[in-house]
Amino acid sequence: MMTSNLSAVLSGAVAMASFATTLFFVRFWRQTSDVFFLLFALAFAIDAVSRAALGLTHVSNEIEPMFYLLRLAMFALIIAAISVKNRSR
Amino acid sequence: MTVSSFIYGLCAATSAVCAGMLLGAYRRNKYRLLLWSGLCFVGLALNNVILVLDKVILPDVDLSSLRLLVALIAMTVLLYGLIWDVE
Repeated sequence: MMTSNLSAVLSGAVAMASFATTLFFVRFWRQTSDVFFLLFALAFAIDAVSRAALGLTHVSNEIEPMFYLLRLAMFALIIAAISVKNRSR
Repeated sequence: MTVSSFIYGLCAATSAVCAGMLLGAYRRNKYRLLLWSGLCFVGLALNNVILVLDKVILPDVDLSSLRLLVALIAMTVLLYGLIWDVE
């Protein structure tokens, strides 16, 4: 029980940190109009949503991996952001 | 190999690629935000490696608190950089 309470608190904290990070990248995007920052904002927004959703649901072992497809999308966005940046230089 | 272990493995691999690309980009142009992002993704990659350990290799051991703690430290590093160190 203790472990699951701790996990719930940590999940919420990580989701909040991801959300705060999203806001920073949205601000950078609005200041610079650089797509790089928009893709980062999108990636961390996806992370915040997927972590909050995982923390809120009691999912079975069969369904749970589906939540991690969102996380995979987050990493794909970061890889795309850096690739686009490298190509544009 | 099951679909779920494939997804967990892919998460670990792609996050490690992110970390490598970000730190490589930092080495080339010394833009500090890339350093903080890179360090964050090193932590997130570690988080996903522990996820593979937790779900695939040691399914009987609950490592959820450990991997979430690692993820929280990783995100805190990036937030620290965003708040105090971005010029």
